Amino acid sequence: MEPNSHVSSPTTSRKVLIIEDEHFISELYVRALTRGGYDVTVEVDGARGMKLAQTNQYDIILLDLMVPTITGIEILRQLRAPGAPRLKSKIVITTNLEQREEVRSDIEKQADAYLVKAEITPRELVDFLGTIK
Amino acid sequence: MDNLQRFVSQLRTRVFAVLVLNNLLLFADWWVMEKIIGASPERLLISMVVVTVLSLTVLPWLSANYLAQPTKLIWQAILHIAPDTANIPAPDLKKHTIGHDLVTNLVSHVYQLASVVDNIERTQATKPRDLSSDFVASALPLPMLVLDKNRNIVFANHAMCEYSGRTATEMTNQNLYSVIDLSFTTNETFDKWLDEAKKTAAVESKTWQRVRLRLPGDGTKQRQFDLVAYFNAENPEGFESMLVFFDRTKDYEKDDQGLGFIAMAVHELRVPVTLLRGYIDAFEEDLDGKLNPELTDYLHKMNIAAEGLTAFINNILNVARVENDQLTLKLHEEQWPEIVKGVTDDFSLRAKIKGITIEANVQKDLPTVGVDRISVHEVLSNLLDNALKYSGTGKKIIITSVLNKEGLVETTVQDFGAGIPESVIGNLFDKYYRSHRSRTNVGGTGLGLYLSKAIIDAHGGRIWVRSKEDEGSTFGFTILPYAKLADEQKNGDNNDITRGAHGWIKNHSLYSR
Repeated sequence: MEPNSHVSSPTTSRKVLIIEDEHFISELYVRALTRGGYDVTVEVDGARGMKLAQTNQYDIILLDLMVPTITGIEILRQLRAPGAPRLKSKIVITTNLEQREEVRSDIEKQADAYLVKAEITPRELVDFLGTIK
Repeated sequence: MDNLQRFVSQLRTRVFAVLVLNNLLLFADWWVMEKIIGASPERLLISMVVVTVLSLTVLPWLSANYLAQPTKLIWQAILHIAPDTANIPAPDLKKHTIGHDLVTNLVSHVYQLASVVDNIERTQATKPRDLSSDFVASALPLPMLVLDKNRNIVFANHAMCEYSGRTATEMTNQNLYSVIDLSFTTNETFDKWLDEAKKTAAVESKTWQRVRLRLPGDGTKQRQFDLVAYFNAENPEGFESMLVFFDRTKDYEKDDQGLGFIAMAVHELRVPVTLLRGYIDAFEEDLDGKLNPELTDYLHKMNIAAEGLTAFINNILNVARVENDQLTLKLHEEQWPEIVKGVTDDFSLRAKIKGITIEANVQKDLPTVGVDRISVHEVLSNLLDNALKYSGTGKKIIITSVLNKEGLVETTVQDFGAGIPESVIGNLFDKYYRSHRSRTNVGGTGLGLYLSKAIIDAHGGRIWVRSKEDEGSTFGFTILPYAKLADEQKNGDNNDITRGAHGWIKNHSLYSR
């Protein structure tokens, strides 16, 4: 699989990074998001995803918690660490993993939103992202 | 001192006498040999040498015993009172000895000292023991570190050394984080707390649960601790903060594994459901208006089935949580009509397909309620799901919410289906129970009502059912208005009330969940 794929939409202003290793899921999200006018980049690898997040100004980062090399929780922790450079991107956790209550509420505190992928359709996701400013 | 001087003068006279005696002996020998016997000079010399040798041997031997008498007596007195040699008799002081007064005096001092020591031992035996803090810290069977202002280690106890596999010397003066790696479940870390405490407090302490601790050489092994920290601004002898670790690795691992299998299964089930819903969503988007009515209906039904699967997966997870005592509810102030509307909206498509109308009568001016939004949404969904399943020929479902006589918000879901026979009504809220008719023709797992009851119980409410065969069933439950709940909690922390499936959760207790 190529390191990361980028689908550009000419009319867009909002940039989205999807860090997700489940290809079929990211495919569905890319389809819905580009139709929704977003400029979408997909990265399957945690470490590379974090690098992209740090070096590019994304409006929104969709972060899966179970990705290779670095877990999503670690990516979130590093991006939101007190000493880290301030990141303007909104971080939306998209996961099917279940956490212990304490872990989940801690993730929710650090992220801008927490979504269970099975509970939301791609179009609902696009609608939801529209509400995040 | 008088005694001592007397003793010295006694010694002086005794030594003088011995020396005089010695000289007298020599003189007497010379006198006898020279004047009386008239011995030759050689014989005289030999005789003098013999007498000198004899007197040098005998006189010191005789006088030493005599002069050492006082020392012997004092020594005997000391041995008499010493614990190991207490069977030695007390010295007999009546005997006439050189330095008698001095000896009597010294021995009486020895006896006095002994009685003082005795008294101290006796009072100490009755007093609570004053354990030195160093001893307690060293012997504490929990790993402990004491840090200075710069978070350098000034003390590591024995248990800490065993844990870290390092000696106290290796750890002393090292920075805390060069020795151990701590990670916390929340942003409220030890560092953050300590910085805050330094600014505001003189003495402060805090407890954390599930602190992960990694030591150099641990590899991937994670230990989980409860951690207690203590801060003292006074800073006595370089001390500023103290950390005590309770190893809870086994307990927490067991906890984690309790849901481990279920959590894994849930994840594995959710992935295909996500895709299924995603693809259906894509079809719905692109085929909208292009399919014949029958296929449009099928597509909707596919969507509903997939949604049902999502809900079912959540039910499994929550039942597992209830059973592991891990269902944690965060009760917030919510508008009840909004929640009811959210659920009825979710079900509107399904109802339409079945030709059923959902009628919601929510009393105006209901007080705000104290609920965990997601959980009560699930309860209402379960009840509505049942109502739809068992409506049979009934064409209407009525949801009613009122403030009842007890001042609780009471919600009922009424269907006009086949109803439930009285014989089985008592078991409805049991796990896996499904009424006789449902086993054959309606899908479901029987988890929904069991879970709903657990959730409503945890909210401090009550759930019930009334049913009559051929007329339909009414499921109802109560929840507490937010004001009432906040009253009940009475801890001032009204914004975020946490409850477990089996009652209140203490927020700050060390071993609560």
